[in-house]
Amino acid sequence: MQLQYFLLLAAALFCIGIYGVITSRNAVRVLMSIELLLNAVNLNLMAFSNYLDSVEIKGQVFTVFVITVAAAEAAVGLAIVLAIYRNRDTVDMEQFNLLKW
Amino acid sequence: MSQYLLETVWLVPCYALIGASFAIPWSPGLIRLTGPRPAGYVNLVMTFLSFLHSAIALQATWNQPPQELFLPWLDVAGLNLTIAVEISSLSVGGLVLICGLNFLAQIFAIGYMEMDWGWGRFFSLLGLFEAGLCALVLCNNLFFSYVILEILTLGTYLLVGLWFSQSLVVTGARDAFLTKRTGDLFLLMGVLAIWPLAGTWNYTELAEWAEKAKVDPTAIGLVSLALIAGPMGKCAQFPLHLWLDEAMEGPVPSTILRNSVVVASGAWVLVKLQPVFALSPIVSNAMIGIGAVTAVGASLIAIAQIDLKRCLSYTVSAYMGLVFIAVGTQQDDAALLLVLTHAVSAALLVMSTGGIIWNSITQDVTKLGGLWGRRPISGIAFIVGTLGLIGFPPLGSFWALMELSDDLWVTKPWLVGVILLVNALTAFSLTREFCLLFGGKPKAMSERSPEVHWPMVLPMVILLGFVLHLPLVLESLSLLPSWASLNKDVALLLAWSSIFGCSISAVIYLSDFIPKPIHLPFKGLQDLLAYDFYTPKLYRMTIILGVALISKLTDMVDRLVVDGIVNFVGLFSVLGGEGLKYSTSGQTQFYAFTILMGVSVLGAFVTWQYWGTQFLNLIF
Repeated sequence: MQLQYFLLLAAALFCIGIYGVITSRNAVRVLMSIELLLNAVNLNLMAFSNYLDSVEIKGQVFTVFVITVAAAEAAVGLAIVLAIYRNRDTVDMEQFNLLKW
Repeated sequence: MSQYLLETVWLVPCYALIGASFAIPWSPGLIRLTGPRPAGYVNLVMTFLSFLHSAIALQATWNQPPQELFLPWLDVAGLNLTIAVEISSLSVGGLVLICGLNFLAQIFAIGYMEMDWGWGRFFSLLGLFEAGLCALVLCNNLFFSYVILEILTLGTYLLVGLWFSQSLVVTGARDAFLTKRTGDLFLLMGVLAIWPLAGTWNYTELAEWAEKAKVDPTAIGLVSLALIAGPMGKCAQFPLHLWLDEAMEGPVPSTILRNSVVVASGAWVLVKLQPVFALSPIVSNAMIGIGAVTAVGASLIAIAQIDLKRCLSYTVSAYMGLVFIAVGTQQDDAALLLVLTHAVSAALLVMSTGGIIWNSITQDVTKLGGLWGRRPISGIAFIVGTLGLIGFPPLGSFWALMELSDDLWVTKPWLVGVILLVNALTAFSLTREFCLLFGGKPKAMSERSPEVHWPMVLPMVILLGFVLHLPLVLESLSLLPSWASLNKDVALLLAWSSIFGCSISAVIYLSDFIPKPIHLPFKGLQDLLAYDFYTPKLYRMTIILGVALISKLTDMVDRLVVDGIVNFVGLFSVLGGEGLKYSTSGQTQFYAFTILMGVSVLGAFVTWQYWGTQFLNLIF
């Protein structure tokens, strides 16, 4: 068990999240993909704090903060999605292209 | 007193200028109450003053060496432009001639322009001409001669274009300006090119330089050719002669001046530059060629004209051609004498015919006739003008033509032939005009034709008297050759050629056995002469066509290429904006993708040095 494996897993998770963010048509799935990104970051933080800073474990504190903020952000994100849904009766990301050129 | 007047003779052009500027207020737009007549009277007084001044100065200058006055004009960086005023019997004599003719023409104009409101403009332009010509005669500097010639070109444009509501006047004024301007521009090239060669523009110094100058014959040939181009346009020589024909659209009184003095302004410069021209035989031959072709061609054309004023204008071109021949064969005195005798006779002819035009309305000689019984004074004036112009002893031009042919008799006999031919042809054409105007039976247009009123007859009669007295004047100034040294053969030939031309013409036009109007057996030749060798078409098909095509091409290049390149830059920016705005797709996910791509590319670029080469090695 080495640091690199954790980092590679986190990177892979990040990439999957990015792929989801960019390709999903459902707005809720975009939010879910963002959660994947944040979790990939959390994995990184935890891995670093375990292998490099096992005394003061500042990474774990960061992770706690990230989880907290991610929860708040998800709440706001879902609220936004709901607000849009109320107006436009859809959550299809491709219907939200009103602010173009 | 007269000595003082001699020293201040440079004031003579200023009188005329003052007169010209005083005439302007009586333009119809400024002083409305008095009418335009005071403009004429003011000018008449100023011209008379300048005539008196120069006439008294002429007496004082007799048997005196020429003096020179210098008025500094501009001195910059090694170039010293000083106006040199030459006071000699010749230049003051020129002043007397110009002021005298101008005075008579202005009296004539007071009669002729009676029903016209444009006196302010007309008389101020006449004053400008008088000032310009006087200044030209006094000026002893090529550069300032050029300046004056250009001002006179502008004056011609304005004076020919006096009645600008007529379309032919507008085109005539345009052609007069552009044709003379072309000649003047070549003259400017010559003037500028002679400075590095001679280092002076003073005529006297130019003559001294020319005496012992050793210059490249090609260079001096080209410079001199440019220098004769100016007088060529001024003197209405082939091929720059069309303007004088079209300038006949202007009022008659100005024609008096133009035919007698203005065209001679080119001849004056030519005579002054004669020492320079003598350096290059090519130029002398060119002048003789131009002069001979113009003299013969224009006198032939004059025979075929039906417009009274144009008949006379081509005779003027022909006589200026003779002046060209005289200068080309280095005979300044003959040239100046010819200019003098031609000026007074031509002015008399124009005055006589101008009076006829004034109350017969038409200028078409085929519609006039039978005036002799009712217009004796005009008739006599025309006869005397004719005899004074052709070689008819003892009147003026005979002596000028004698002096010219006398030298040529030995050196270039064929030129004597040309002079005799021109003399005979001019005699023919002038007699033809006389017979058509005064002979025969009255026609519809000349049925009732009283003699004109005094302001037109008076100057005519005074000038008539002067033309008759000219031989006596020349005799008293000992300008005539003595009877003993006279070449009798030449004299007889000249007299015979005149008699020959006059009598043939009189027989043809006064007798009834040839039906009028006369048709030559060759219609083409008659038309060729009547339309002056189709010169307008010739201009239109060569120079005008060329310039027009180049102008259109340049305009097209300007519009399409130059404008196009600049506009293309603008269009490219607009199209760029129009095309690139679609990058703002409105899709949030696309923006996210763009951000990611940006970050990745920047990251790849920054970290390239740590992995790039290995990566490339791995692939290739």
